[in-house]
Amino acid sequence: MRRILQLCLTAVCVFAFYALHAQDRTITGRITSVDDGSPLPGVNVVVKGTTNGTVTDVNGKYTISAPAGSTLIFSFIGLKSQEIAIGERAVLDVPMGQDMQQLSEVVVTAQGIERTKNELAYSAQKVDGAAVSQTRDNNFVNGLSGKVAGLEIRRPNTMGGSTNVVIRGNKSLTGNNQALFVIDGVPIDNSNTSGTSQAQGRGGYDYGNAAADINPDDIESINVLKGAAATALYGSRASNGVILITTKKGRATKGVGLTFTGGVSVGVVDKSTFAKYQKSYGQGYGAELSQQLSEQTGRPRFFVSQFDIDGDGQPDLVTPTGADASWGAPFNPNQTVFLWDAFDTESPYYHKGKPYVAAANDPSTFFKTSIQQNYSVMLDGASEKGYYKLGYSTNRETGILPNSHIYKDFINFGSSYKITDRLTATASVNFSTIRGNGRYGTGYDDKNLMTNFRQWWAVSTDIKDQKDAYFRDRKNITWNFSDAARGKLNAIYWDNPYFTRYENFQDDNRIRYLGYTMLNYKVNDWFDVLGRISLDTYNEFQQERRAITSNGVASYTRFNRRYKEYNYDLMLNFNKEINQNFTVKGVVGGNIRRTRAESIFATTNGGLVVDRYYALENSVNPIVAPVETESELGVDGIYANATLGYKNMLFLDLAGRRDQSSSLPKGNDVYYYPSASVSFVFSELMKDKTWLNNGKFRVNYAEVGNTAPAQSITDVYDKPTAFGNVTLFSVQSTKNNPNLKPERTKSFETGVEMSFVEDRVGFDFTFYRQNSVDQIVPATVSRATGYDAKYINAGEIRNQGFEVSVYAVPVQVGAFSWRVSANWTRNRNKVVELAPGITNLQLGSFQNGVSIAAAVDQPYGVIRGSNFVYNDQGQRLVDEDGYYQMTGANSIIGNLNPDWIGGLNNTLKYKSFSLSFLIDTRQGGNVYSLDMAYGNYSGILPETAGLNQLGNPLRNSYENGGGWIFDGVKEDGTKNDIRVDASAEEFVGIFGPDYVPNKAYVYDASYVKLREVVLSYSLPQNLLARLAPIKGIDVSLVGRNLWIIHKNLPYADPEDALGSGNFSGGFQSGAYPNVRNMGFNVKVKF
Amino acid sequence: MALSILFSCGDLEELNVNNKKAKEAPAGTLFANGQRNLSDILVSTNVNRGVWRLLAQHWTETTYFSEARYDLDTRNIPQNVWDILYRDVMMDFETARISLKELDPVFIEEELRQNQLALIDIMEVYTWSVLVNTYGPIPYVSDSFEGGEALDIDNASPAYTKAEDIYHDLITRLNADIKTLETTTETETLGSYDLLYSGNKATWLRFANSLKLRLGMTLAEAPGFDAKTIVSEAAPKVFTSSADNALIKYKETTPNTNPVWVDLVQSGREDFVAANTIVDKMVALDDPRLPAYFATVDVDGTDIYLGGIYGVKNTASNYSFPSATIMDPTLPGVLLDYSEVLFYLAEAVERGFITTGSAETYYNQAITESMHFWGVEDADIATYLARPEVAYTSAAGDYKTKIGVQKWFALYNRGHEAWTEWRRLDAPTLVAPPDAFSDVPLRFPYPVAEQNLNTVNYDDAVRMIGKDVVATPIFWDVQ
Repeated sequence: MRRILQLCLTAVCVFAFYALHAQDRTITGRITSVDDGSPLPGVNVVVKGTTNGTVTDVNGKYTISAPAGSTLIFSFIGLKSQEIAIGERAVLDVPMGQDMQQLSEVVVTAQGIERTKNELAYSAQKVDGAAVSQTRDNNFVNGLSGKVAGLEIRRPNTMGGSTNVVIRGNKSLTGNNQALFVIDGVPIDNSNTSGTSQAQGRGGYDYGNAAADINPDDIESINVLKGAAATALYGSRASNGVILITTKKGRATKGVGLTFTGGVSVGVVDKSTFAKYQKSYGQGYGAELSQQLSEQTGRPRFFVSQFDIDGDGQPDLVTPTGADASWGAPFNPNQTVFLWDAFDTESPYYHKGKPYVAAANDPSTFFKTSIQQNYSVMLDGASEKGYYKLGYSTNRETGILPNSHIYKDFINFGSSYKITDRLTATASVNFSTIRGNGRYGTGYDDKNLMTNFRQWWAVSTDIKDQKDAYFRDRKNITWNFSDAARGKLNAIYWDNPYFTRYENFQDDNRIRYLGYTMLNYKVNDWFDVLGRISLDTYNEFQQERRAITSNGVASYTRFNRRYKEYNYDLMLNFNKEINQNFTVKGVVGGNIRRTRAESIFATTNGGLVVDRYYALENSVNPIVAPVETESELGVDGIYANATLGYKNMLFLDLAGRRDQSSSLPKGNDVYYYPSASVSFVFSELMKDKTWLNNGKFRVNYAEVGNTAPAQSITDVYDKPTAFGNVTLFSVQSTKNNPNLKPERTKSFETGVEMSFVEDRVGFDFTFYRQNSVDQIVPATVSRATGYDAKYINAGEIRNQGFEVSVYAVPVQVGAFSWRVSANWTRNRNKVVELAPGITNLQLGSFQNGVSIAAAVDQPYGVIRGSNFVYNDQGQRLVDEDGYYQMTGANSIIGNLNPDWIGGLNNTLKYKSFSLSFLIDTRQGGNVYSLDMAYGNYSGILPETAGLNQLGNPLRNSYENGGGWIFDGVKEDGTKNDIRVDASAEEFVGIFGPDYVPNKAYVYDASYVKLREVVLSYSLPQNLLARLAPIKGIDVSLVGRNLWIIHKNLPYADPEDALGSGNFSGGFQSGAYPNVRNMGFNVKVKF
Repeated sequence: MALSILFSCGDLEELNVNNKKAKEAPAGTLFANGQRNLSDILVSTNVNRGVWRLLAQHWTETTYFSEARYDLDTRNIPQNVWDILYRDVMMDFETARISLKELDPVFIEEELRQNQLALIDIMEVYTWSVLVNTYGPIPYVSDSFEGGEALDIDNASPAYTKAEDIYHDLITRLNADIKTLETTTETETLGSYDLLYSGNKATWLRFANSLKLRLGMTLAEAPGFDAKTIVSEAAPKVFTSSADNALIKYKETTPNTNPVWVDLVQSGREDFVAANTIVDKMVALDDPRLPAYFATVDVDGTDIYLGGIYGVKNTASNYSFPSATIMDPTLPGVLLDYSEVLFYLAEAVERGFITTGSAETYYNQAITESMHFWGVEDADIATYLARPEVAYTSAAGDYKTKIGVQKWFALYNRGHEAWTEWRRLDAPTLVAPPDAFSDVPLRFPYPVAEQNLNTVNYDDAVRMIGKDVVATPIFWDVQ
């Protein structure tokens, strides 16, 4: 891919047009791309040793006068420069190819400043737009996984869920740790409105993060700026690193450029990441009657058995429909049992029994094939005067669950025009809509069917029968009737799963405008001024339903949120060659930022009156006052940056920014960000070493500040709903602090980049250390203070690590090439200090007594819960009854940080074919699986119906050799040999939380995934010539998330998370299976 | 610098103002909220908080029965109760009290302020007593006590105060409050912000004295207290009828219904049934309150009262649910009632603390008032009182057992108080279920957050009581 110079944004490339010499001869020629033979406009052509130069026109043509015997230099950003002696030629056509010498590549850095890689004294990694758009993930961010050292992407398996994007580890204890997204110099909001309750697995929908509003088809390239030195110019919000997105600009073509792309892909559930089911025991929670009563009545204990259902005068065996577990009677095909459908008047089994066997269709048959379609069209063009583009894209995705889809539409417009030689105007408008319907429920919740299927299920339930039962008359005919035999046909814990999907669904939309206008005035050839106003604004609307007859209270809930951010920028750019040895480039600028978010949340009260009518006015009781929020933040900043260059070999970069923030108290509201960086291109001193192409050493130090969350200075009161006519107020549970000061992160980074053997091998190595101090945290305090927490400045986190990226071209023979690139990241973080006297800060509190916390001297994000008690030899101790000894809920039982992450990409090219595949891995780190804890408790999983240490079915009665011997040792150190009763009769959750500590369900979250496979074919130029006006046709086959090569977490995808946030990962409840995605794309250029 | 001026728009501060939240709140609104939250936590049957009815063995659990076996840890029950009492009850009372104290005299007549402060203080005394009765030594604060460190955000790690010291101070406070209400000529108090008595000063005086009676009786056997004086001072001025009962009258609609309705009816779940511990005893006595307390269950064609076996797995529909009365959203929450006061008086006579009236009369009256409260007819009451197992002269056991058993019936649906009286009177006999995590708890362990966040003071508190376990009795639980 060729890169188009961003003529209008900076004044890096300024060349004189006027220095012609009378005695010279005229040379003409055409510059084309070696890739596809298309003409290249804007290529610099300079006579070597002079200032005489020109640029190619729209058709790639140039005319220049040069003395005989001179040499022409052809250069273009991103392409390999060439020096050609003109000899006797009057015509000189040059094909230009990509520059493999990465060090001279231009990189877009903070505030849109362009620097060559040589000058960069910090780590920045570029990803081509095609690399993310090609894979067609609904959220382009997911396409970055495994491609950038230092960048950890954690993607949930829900449709449209929010992706966690963290660069170099979590730096803020309780604040935002997500990277900042900047499009063409304009920061965009990446909020996630799903809420902390959703993130803690307490249910709710994951509405995704707002960066998903970026059109992948419009991305030209992505630059990841990792350290504080790279991002200091953005001020506080960039303390977590920046993902800089450059969108496409118009291409110079004859007439109107037209590009169509289209693609379709399908997704199927990867069954290795979904539950398996035991097939031996049916619905029940052990014996239904207490032993005492059973002895009195002599009734069978697994069934409700005193009612005559079929009218034959004999009492029948009815399954205990109220039990959402599979710890019931053993299946027996000779026994006739009445299931839930015997009470469904419309069912063919109404008042009929069935042989008692495991269901033919288990919940894995519930999933559908997801289908994703995308189409886009883009018009563009460019000339010496400027460029324009106008694009429309649409993306339509249906999920793996019934009644789920997300539709996205994008319109992108951008144009630039040179009003005079000195004044350029640029404008860009992006409009997007996202419409979601039937997003997946998450966490421990009855709207999340994975909680149902993985944790609380009766394996005697046939999914297909449930489907038929729902679709017969769209009623909530559930397998989980409260007590069918006694006529209680309400859903006690779980609705019919189809009813959940088709009746209790949500829908949402977000309409967003994002754009800027910009004027750039070139004062002279080394100085220009840029003024820009940008706006990012969206409205979002979410509504959730719970139908009448659902378990729980019927409800309708709506949430409206509006977000607005203005940025006003003024930048003075200069770029001056002081003499042959010294250059100076720099910028002085100012930025005013204003953000405003407001929302209103309202819900019905006490149920709904009219069925299937979802409006607030349908509330049974008068609704309580909606919850309104309104929050504003203003930051005023000024900044300056200068890069001094010496002989294109040694660079010193100094930058500083001063911010004033509205969310800090007066007097403490100003903070500074100094940074200093040095880059030394040592290969300049070793030009005689032919094996070495490039070598650069870099080192930098920076400090960045961060402001407080809005409205954390002064106290206000909570307002509970009035008690009748009595107004109530309540003191807030978090104490605000009028003395807050800014947080600071101190960052040091050093690295070396080298490439060898004609750039066929190269590496980039970085070491970094970042200490974040004076953190603004709502520190939890003893509740005897009357508060949960108090905002203070305290605490320190250290992140340090290595990033390595390497590449090699092991084979390059004729038209065949093989390129390997890999990256590896190892981040270690440590909570150095919390508030005085506090050694543990709870970040999230989860089901089953598990919590995720920051604890002093531990990595950020330890998992706490009950542990085994170990002896000196590290063996698990059992008590005198053979049960595990357990600690309280306060032990550290895991850590959610990986040891390292990495990606390995191979690209094989032969002529017009290209095959690439990406293997992405995460090693180490833990996840607590509530799915495994409850799946074992409720007897769903095969392990719960297996054989015990004696080789007998463990659910046999104790007398029949059943039971279980927990793996451990007794107090005296001898191996545990006490068999405990695990029989269905005496079931009290033998593998459940009362008997097994949380630690038992903590797993290693490592994985190795075949993340992407792309096979593409571009129609060669000679074939295209016959297809005029078509200029290019690319076809590709794409696979995503095809294969989890290795993992240690049973029945689930270890990467699946509850959404983005500081404790993303670490806890799974109702996890969604991985979806394997396969599709094809076609791209046609005119 | 020119840029600096250009790029600051001034008035940044104003952006940080929260326009959707109140910056000020009238003291009465905080007082009302504290009363309501106090009632909620005492009334609640939520498994994450109010497991009082299980501790008293009035109810038991069905499918998930860990709490009935005294697993207080998994759901963080001690933490949640502690948090609510300090943060949602005490903090609102205390903020109301301080803001009222500091209110400029221009805005309030002095006697009215004194009355209002007295009401708030009485509610605080009530809440502190619940905290002490649940945990033992706790962080405490009071104007009349040196060294209390609770409810001060500038001291994030408050020290604990000895439970006995707190009780001494509570009595001092109540005496002062009573004196204030008796002395002021102003009859207004907090008006409609008072959810208990709509500000009726006379009733508040009887409530304060009844509370004093309760504290005095709680201290009956505690060394170092003059319980007799406390009780004899209070006794003549306590409740005179059930019209004086301290009730929070819950509303028909959420979120102001009785919390039990939320957990039992609105949730659609069937987590609780009556416990055989109480049902068996009441059935044996043919107690006329049975229909008000429990629903019947059809066992092989007969509708009977059958309690689930305490602390084991029970199938909900095999056993008696709580009655429709109990599950009514408007069922009031009771903080203190006349029947309870009469039981105290009966006991006070037996202990020689008071000389007016006889134990038997008070005892009969107490049962009668309880039955009236639950809508029992006078004839049925008479029959019941005449039963030899009930009649004071012939009922089994000493006065503690007689009163303890009948009070335990009367305190049905008042789990926390029933649990406290069981601990104090040691009657009836409650037995821990099989596979229980502990014996019947005598207190709650301290919250995990106290161990983590307030470690030094927590350790001191543990030294005061010996061991931070459920088996450690509260200081007044001497036997």
